[in-house]
Parts: sequence; structure tokens; C-alpha cells
Amino acid sequence: MPKVQPIPEAGPGRLGRGHRVSSSLAEINVVPLVDVMLVLLIIFMVTAPMIQRGVDVNIPVSRNSGPIVNERVFVSVPVAYRQNHLVYLDNEQIRVDALQERIRQKMEGRSDKEVYLRGDAGLLYQDLMDVFDRLHAAGVARIGLVNKLPGEK
Amino acid sequence: MMIQSFFNRPNTRAVLTLGAAVVALATLGARQQPPQQPTPAPQQPTELSAVIKNGGGAPTRLAVPSFIALTSDAETTAIAKTIGQVLWDDLNYEREFELIPRDTYATIPAAKSFTDVPMDRWHEIGADGLIVGTVEKTGAGIKVQVRLFRIATGQSAFGQEYSGSGANPRVYAHTISDEIHKQQRNLNGVARTKLAFDSDRDGERMGGTIEQRSTKEIYIADYDGENQKRITVNKSLNITAAWSPDGRSIAYTSYRHGAPSIFISNIFAGTMEELTKTAPSTDSKTPRASDSNFLPQWSPDGTRLCFMSNRDGNPEIYVANRDGSNVRRITTHPAGDVSCTWSPSGTQIAFVSDRSGAPQLYIVGADGLGLTRLSVGESYVDRPTWSPPPYNEIAFAARTTSAGFDIKVFDFASGQVHALTFGEGTNESPAWAPNGRHLAFSSTRAGKWQIFTVGRDGKNVRQITRSGNNYQPAWSK
Repeated sequence: MPKVQPIPEAGPGRLGRGHRVSSSLAEINVVPLVDVMLVLLIIFMVTAPMIQRGVDVNIPVSRNSGPIVNERVFVSVPVAYRQNHLVYLDNEQIRVDALQERIRQKMEGRSDKEVYLRGDAGLLYQDLMDVFDRLHAAGVARIGLVNKLPGEK
Repeated sequence: MMIQSFFNRPNTRAVLTLGAAVVALATLGARQQPPQQPTPAPQQPTELSAVIKNGGGAPTRLAVPSFIALTSDAETTAIAKTIGQVLWDDLNYEREFELIPRDTYATIPAAKSFTDVPMDRWHEIGADGLIVGTVEKTGAGIKVQVRLFRIATGQSAFGQEYSGSGANPRVYAHTISDEIHKQQRNLNGVARTKLAFDSDRDGERMGGTIEQRSTKEIYIADYDGENQKRITVNKSLNITAAWSPDGRSIAYTSYRHGAPSIFISNIFAGTMEELTKTAPSTDSKTPRASDSNFLPQWSPDGTRLCFMSNRDGNPEIYVANRDGSNVRRITTHPAGDVSCTWSPSGTQIAFVSDRSGAPQLYIVGADGLGLTRLSVGESYVDRPTWSPPPYNEIAFAARTTSAGFDIKVFDFASGQVHALTFGEGTNESPAWAPNGRHLAFSSTRAGKWQIFTVGRDGKNVRQITRSGNNYQPAWSK
């Protein structure tokens, strides 16, 4: 609301009936703006910690627990496998000869015994079968073949 | 104005203060976050870091390929192969390391010396540590060198050299296994320990008074069942062997004079003593025919033995010095008191008595005082065996079916009993390994009576004997 100031009377000799002159405001009234900004600030400050992440749990330390099981195991067979017989176990490049033992170690103590196989589309059927045999010999019960949908990049 | 209706003017200052406070708190919270940790400097190889161990409880995987024969004759090659295989078995037995199966080593090129080990190939197969050894023929015998490499760094964490006769290469593997367990895990392995047991495998028949009774002789074997040797030759019953704590003598019950008596064979010296010869007897050599002395057990310091005898009319427990002197009776009850075992400190003796009507466990001081009953919740208990330290447990055979026994363990700390066998045949006569991590017992699970070993968790059951019937194992210290 505009400020209201009583206007000093011009003089005692003037008319007795009160005469007011409203003075114009020389500045922008920022009070509503500050109100709005503070409310927005508080709303964002209250919600910001909530949207960052879920419940914060301090994980206990234990010496004798196994590694987290049920991580997905990916075996990737690039097209160069036909020449060098190298495969990728997750992100580690290894010879296919070591694949069976490494998968056996990974499957130890796991309940699902699953491996996801990412084979290059240009591989021979026989090459994939070789990898299959090694995975089965390592105790893998289910092999998932990773593919793309048509048009998917 | 809508917002103004929520916050009328007099409150503006309060809201402003609250906002400032929240801003201040948020700043404070940000400041309290720990500063970025500087990355630790790479560890220098110290005594401590010579231990190969994975964090987070993940198993430490070792590979033990065949040793390298530096001299190329067939004998050295065979010794090198044997040491590698036996060392793999020895390390695998304690289950402290995960051993990578030997059939996966074929694709990895064999090293010719310590310097050309293909570490990357062993890393590829998942090994954390690799044991490489060489065997060399020398004038007197063989020289064996061994190193344990940490795969991640290629550095040696253990190195040792041995030389001696090549007659029994398994001894080298057993020694290496024990020393690696000691150095890497401060664990007393059992690779160099031996088992003693009685066996009827020779099928000899006793002549004389007791007709058609099978003879049994005392045999010893390595902990893994290799190198089985007979140590008594008297064509009578020789049973219930017990190793002296120094591993140089075996006390046992023998019927060689007709009545059972306790003998001590000093197997390395090749001499023999009769412990219970002091009992009253008709001639100077043998006790009375009615006197029976059974089931000797050594005190932990090896100076005394406890045994069962009926010399005073009914089965009681006695303690004698190692030379047979100072025989003291420590139980007095008209019921039978049998099958004694010493506590790890040597101050107490547990035994079986049927004074309550059924065979139950009792504990008494080695001086015969302070008798208490140990209730383990079983109706029929036989052959208690007190564990070595650091464990404080008593293993025993408990009758679980009308025909059979199972091995059970009573833990003094928790007061709980748990079973190690579950009705696979009948399982009797438990004996602790000196490190308390394994037990030997006799079982009919494979048909005839055979000796088996089992881990203290009931896993890793192994058959030790395969010929004849074999009973009542004892495990050397």
C-alpha cells in the first residue's frame, strides 16, 4: 500500500477544511518481490536434499562376507575373436583358454549362475559354440544372448 | 496479491531470518564434508605386505604348477611333478587358500626358471599368488627351491631352499605347505603330521587261546593316507593307538600276552616298553590274566598317561607316569569308568561312565578330585576326545540310531553340541588334528571300517584307508 503521509498544513490562515496532496513514489516497491523470492528459496532448499538420493545407510564392515553376488556377468566376443581368440570378461580382455576357470571362480557361491553373452553379429556359429561350451563347463546354467532391437543404435 | 495473504508484512522479517538461518546451515553442512583424501603413496614391500590376501573376504587364489626340473633326467622330472601335486593337495586341505585346479594350467607356458614366469597369464586365470619351485639333482640327493610370487606385483613373498634325500619327495611338499601356512596365515598346518590306527588288513590269525580272532596291528600313515607302515608285528590284537606329544612314541593296547596290556613303542628308536607291567602278576613278565588295561591317552606334556584298568575289580581310570611308575586311581565307583581324555592344560580328565545308568561324560581333576557330570544331551556317549587349544571342545561318538553312532562336538564356550556326521554308516572314535581344524574318525560309510578325516565344520570328508578294516585313529602332534 502506498505510504500515506499527513501533509503539513499550509498555515493557520488557510481554510479549516483539510486538504491532502498525495506524493508520488520515487522507487519501486520491492517488498512483494522479496516475499515471493524468499518463499521460493525456502521451497527449493527444503526439497533439494530430498531429491538428491535415497536413504543414507552406513554399510557395516565385515571381513568374511563374499563379494556382492548377482552382479551381471558379461562375456563379450568381438569379431576379432576369429583371429586372436581373445574375449572380454566384463571389461577385462582375456584369452578364451582362461575363460572357463575365470567364470567358474565368478559363479562360485552364486545362486543364479547366469552369464550374458555379447557376441558380434559377424561371428561364426562355431566360434560362439566354443564359448558356449566353456561357459557350460564352468557351471553356467543360463546364458543370455544380448541383442539389439531393429533400429536401435 | 495472493502470496501476500500468506505472509503479511509484519512476518517478513521473521521469514527473512529463517531463510538466512537455512542458508547458513546449508553452508555449514557443505563445509563439514571431509576434504578430499590424498591418494595413499604406493606401499613399499615390507614384512607385512609379504602376505598375499584379498580384501573384503574374497578368497586368495593360489596356483601351484609342477615344479621345474633343472636336471632333465626322468627321476628329477618325476620328483618335480610329485612335489607340485602334493603341495597343491596340502595347501588345499586347510582350505585357507583357494587352489586353482591343476587341469587349467595346461595352456599356460611352463617356466624354465624363476625369472621367466608368465605373470600376466597367471593373472589372466585369476591367480593372486603363484608357487614356483625348482628341483635339481645334486651329488647326495636333491635340492629344492621354492618361491611364492604375488601375481599383482611379480614380487616374491616367500622363498626357501631345501636339500636332502630324494627318496620321499612328498616330505618336501609337506614342509613347504606348513611353512607357507605359517608365514602367510600364522597357521600350524597338518601336512607333516601322521595318523596311527589299527587294521586287520594282513588277515593273520591269532594262534593259541582265542581261536579265530582276527589280529590287528598298529599302522601309521601320513595325514593324507600315504606311506602306510605297520609298526607292530606280534600276530595278536594291537588296538587304540595314541601318539605321544613329541610324535616319537605310540602307546597302544596289546593282547600279546593274552590279557590286554599297555605298551609304548618308540617308533624312531625302535624300542618298546610295557607301561602296565607293574600290575600284580603270576610271573614277572605278565599281569594277571584277569587284569585288563586299555585305551592309553598321553597328557599334553607327555609325562603321564591315563588309561582304563580293571585291576581293582571293575573298570576305573588310572594315571601313571610315562615309565609306568606312580600309578594312581582317580575314579572310584562301582559302575564302569572308561575312555579317558586329557584337557588341553593337563589338569582335568574327561571320561565315560555308566554310573547314571547310561554311558555319559564326566570330568574329574587329574588328581581325582572335583568330579562333575558334563551333560551333552545324548543318551549314549563314547570315546570323548578333548580338543587341542585354542579350541575348548570335546568330540565324542553319540549313539543316534539303534545300530550306529555319529561324531558330535561339545563346545564349552557356548555349551552347544553340533554333529559332524549324519548317519552315513556308523561313525566312531574321533581324534583331533593338532591344530584343532580337523578330526579323524572310523566309519563304515564306504562298506568296511575305514579311517576318514573331516574339517571341524563337517565339510571336506576324505577317506584315508582303503584296505581291510581300519579302526580307532590317533593324530600325531
